[in-house]
Amino acid sequence: MIPLAKDNLTKADVQDKLKGIFSHYKGNQEELIPILQETQENFRYLPAAAMREIADFLHMPESTIFGVSTFYAQFKLTPLGKKIIRVCRGTACHVRGAAKVLAEMEKQLGIKAGQTTDDMEYTLETVACIGACALAPTMTIDGETYGKMTTKKVAEVLGDSSKA
Amino acid sequence: MEAVTITLNGVEVSGYAGTTILDLARESGVYIPTLCHDPNLASTGACRLCLVEDERNGALLASCVAAISPGMTINTNSPRVVEHRKRILELILASHPDSCLVCDKGNRCQLRKLAAEMGVGLIQLQKIPQNDVIEEVNPFIERDLSKCVMCGKCIRVDQELVVEGAIDYIHRGTMVRAATLNDMPLEKSECTFCGACVAICPTGAIMEKERVYTGTATNTVTTICPYCGCGCTICLGTKDNQIVEARPAVDSPVSRGALCVRGSYGYDFIHSPERLTQPLIKVDGEFQEATWEEALSRVAEGLGQIKKDHGADALAVFGSSKCTNEENYVLQRFARGVLGTNNIDNGSRLYSAASRTGLGASIGYAGTTGSLDALERSRVIMVIGANPEISAPAVAYAIKRAVRFKEAKLIVIDPRNTPLTQFASLWLRPGIGTDVALLNGLARVIIDEKRLDVEFVTRMTDNFTGWTKSLQNYTAGYVEDVTGIAKKDVQAAARLLAGAEEASIVYGNGITQHTSGTDAVVAIANLAMLTGNAGRRGGIFALQRENNAHGACDMGALPGFLPGYQSVDEAENRQRFEEHWGGSLPTAAGLSALEMMKAAGLGKVKGMLIMGENPVASFPQPALIRKALSSLDFLVVTDMFPTETVKLASVVLSAASFAEKEGTFTNFEGRVQRLHQAIEPVGESLPDLEILLRLAEVTGSKMPYDSHQDVMEEIEDMVPFYRHVAYADTDSMGLDWGDVEGSSPGTRRLHKGLFPSGFGRFSPVEYTSPQDVATDGYPLTLMAGSGRYHFGAGSRSSRSARLSKFSPAALLEISGADAAELGIGDGDAIKITSAQGELSTTTKVSNSLPRGLLFMPISYPDSPVYELFGTVLDPQAKGPALKTCAVRLERTDGNG
Repeated sequence: MIPLAKDNLTKADVQDKLKGIFSHYKGNQEELIPILQETQENFRYLPAAAMREIADFLHMPESTIFGVSTFYAQFKLTPLGKKIIRVCRGTACHVRGAAKVLAEMEKQLGIKAGQTTDDMEYTLETVACIGACALAPTMTIDGETYGKMTTKKVAEVLGDSSKA
Repeated sequence: MEAVTITLNGVEVSGYAGTTILDLARESGVYIPTLCHDPNLASTGACRLCLVEDERNGALLASCVAAISPGMTINTNSPRVVEHRKRILELILASHPDSCLVCDKGNRCQLRKLAAEMGVGLIQLQKIPQNDVIEEVNPFIERDLSKCVMCGKCIRVDQELVVEGAIDYIHRGTMVRAATLNDMPLEKSECTFCGACVAICPTGAIMEKERVYTGTATNTVTTICPYCGCGCTICLGTKDNQIVEARPAVDSPVSRGALCVRGSYGYDFIHSPERLTQPLIKVDGEFQEATWEEALSRVAEGLGQIKKDHGADALAVFGSSKCTNEENYVLQRFARGVLGTNNIDNGSRLYSAASRTGLGASIGYAGTTGSLDALERSRVIMVIGANPEISAPAVAYAIKRAVRFKEAKLIVIDPRNTPLTQFASLWLRPGIGTDVALLNGLARVIIDEKRLDVEFVTRMTDNFTGWTKSLQNYTAGYVEDVTGIAKKDVQAAARLLAGAEEASIVYGNGITQHTSGTDAVVAIANLAMLTGNAGRRGGIFALQRENNAHGACDMGALPGFLPGYQSVDEAENRQRFEEHWGGSLPTAAGLSALEMMKAAGLGKVKGMLIMGENPVASFPQPALIRKALSSLDFLVVTDMFPTETVKLASVVLSAASFAEKEGTFTNFEGRVQRLHQAIEPVGESLPDLEILLRLAEVTGSKMPYDSHQDVMEEIEDMVPFYRHVAYADTDSMGLDWGDVEGSSPGTRRLHKGLFPSGFGRFSPVEYTSPQDVATDGYPLTLMAGSGRYHFGAGSRSSRSARLSKFSPAALLEISGADAAELGIGDGDAIKITSAQGELSTTTKVSNSLPRGLLFMPISYPDSPVYELFGTVLDPQAKGPALKTCAVRLERTDGNG
């Protein structure tokens, strides 16, 4: 069983926002992925209540919408934190100690990769390569790149980002 | 279409362009192994076991998806093919547990069969641990995904045949598997437990649960499902004279590889410990076991005495829309020829009498005009007053397939939000009992906008002008006032219906069980004729609740008709049967079902023979019925179970179930299908036909039939439209109507737009305000209808262990708005009161109901919803109004 997100969204909230999204689609099945992307942009994840609405709009089974959402890594079924931390685990970063950086990050945030902190501040993810191998090991917070990471720099980087 | 020639294993064979290599090979008798292929599903080429080699270029092709092309030189068994197949099988087996010894799938496992065929034994590859068993509490289906081979058949059958969409793939790569929405257990998903996935799963990943009898079927018998009017073909697996499984027949034209929860899991009533295994005679108020000789002579004596003292019309006979054609035919012969009364009716009076009367008057034929295939081909389908998802699942599957895969448009006319509304282009929600106004309004829009099928109306119908005049009042504005449906929606529906090349109208008990039922059916027929959709293309689809409702009526288990709807009033008709049977037949039409009960209550009818029906549960006012039956001098009932009615009998004759007999059922399409005996009758029970023949013999009027075949041969002789049934040739799949229509012009089918009487007749029908809706003192309207897990009066489904376990009690559904207003929550104990009676139950808040409407399922003997209904009859069809009544609610849990 996949744990459902605990959210405070009412059905009406979801319906309202989706109405806006649906207004520029025709209701064809091939529009599913753009609709999911736009829905996720709006809510920062895909709320369970949205599945039913999208299924009705596209005349597809709800289980199919769910299946597609679990297929692509880009779709989240639980709300993401305000900031998204991505620790690179590409080859270059790996040989230069990405695993230690990730472990330290997990320790400091108190969560595992793929999870979100209870205060909804941070979501920690890993990424295969961000294309900045010269700076390995690297990581990003909300798109900002941090290079030549060490376990010591983890706290610093987190401090930085929390000030921002 | 263009023919393409290829070389297949050295032999030249041809097929139409677009045919797959696999299909052509199978046609040519060449075997290619498959795992993920199914003839009823779109091929996906997932398992790759059907690889074949094109020897021209060495390409390995998945034959289930590769189409033939000119010059192909296919080898289905080249060394390369065999090597690849083996390797693929090894990879599949590497993630499959070695638990064949304890797996219940046994020799029916296709994976095991393929491994044996290809000689693949122990796998040298490293085993990949797979997903595990999913915890589920439902009593029907269990999933052990460690055995899943990801063929995707379960997902495809769910989405392509049943069109439910309860499951789909989730995740990707090695994590991928079939799951419900949010990966919940089946009972918390949209799963309807139709069992199609269980039947199609090639391995033991999806299995039937909580079977009455363990063991692998040693024999399979193909027969017809005994529940609803669809008449799906089912394969009963038997072992040790027990039914161990029921599976859909993949080549059935009705069910096409998918049954419903009742068909798949409801068969266990056959082995219920409550089965009556021997005849019973009531002595001083207590039943005592008796031999057949004792019981039958007691019956002959009981009925004979009443006939002698009070005349034949003091007797009444009630036939069954669940028994076979042969049984109903012999029963009515017994009533008319032996007892000498036309007081004979059958259970379908309660739900489809209006349909027979209305269609008979309009199109001259009392039933559905087309096949399910024709329905699925329709461009527009209008469903009015029917929830086929529950009452006729195979019909719902066909409608959903038409919408989802064939771009048909669906119009649903129903106050309730039924499962079909999410497939509908238009959903109209009329007020209860306003169907006639709406249907007349639709007709008027079509005429005003000149969208009618002029050619059809001119050539094939009668009284068009007279009827048109009667529509003067039904302006869109008036219809909006009466039905509550916006003008523009009425117009849109009319345009959609009239604009379609081929349109079908499906209706059910929501039409027929109102006092205005016959009028509404006539209005539907008018609409179908107006748009040229009566038989030539599209059609009228009258759903039947029970398996043989159509047949029981065709066979003349009716007070006014001899077999084949030949009126008893006409001497010429009687004469045919008198010549055949000898003796003279009673001349005046007899009593209909409810009239019999009234007459019994008044002491005019003194003896009754009831075959396989349970009027105490299925009729309105059970208390009155009970009283009427108790006041009879003599009551004989044939049944499988000690039902509420059986308890009142003087003599009970233990009857065999559908699985224990031969004969034919006629489904709602008019398809005559043959039953095959799967097991010996339980205990000393006997098929009803045998009981009736023995009874006739004991009364000294032995009938000249030795078998059901003799009876069917006589039926073929005596009933004009059964003439082509050719019982001897009727296999389990029933009749191929296409052939029959082509070869015999006198059939009942309205093929090529021909009506049996030459013309269809437009008849004016007027809307009258409904009597069976909320009124002063009873502010809510209660609707009664079928539930998914039970059936009819519940005599059988309540004795199915799994159905009862999953759905033990009848809950009252109430709309959120009404619940809030009355301060009622989910699961509150309440009392429902109508002018006729009261009933206590618990509530379930439902968002499928509009404000003011309640819904309660029938079929639960412990909560007899018909207590609340009166005995008001449709004046023309004499069927009781059993769809809605006015009620009020009170909470009884003390918190309110």
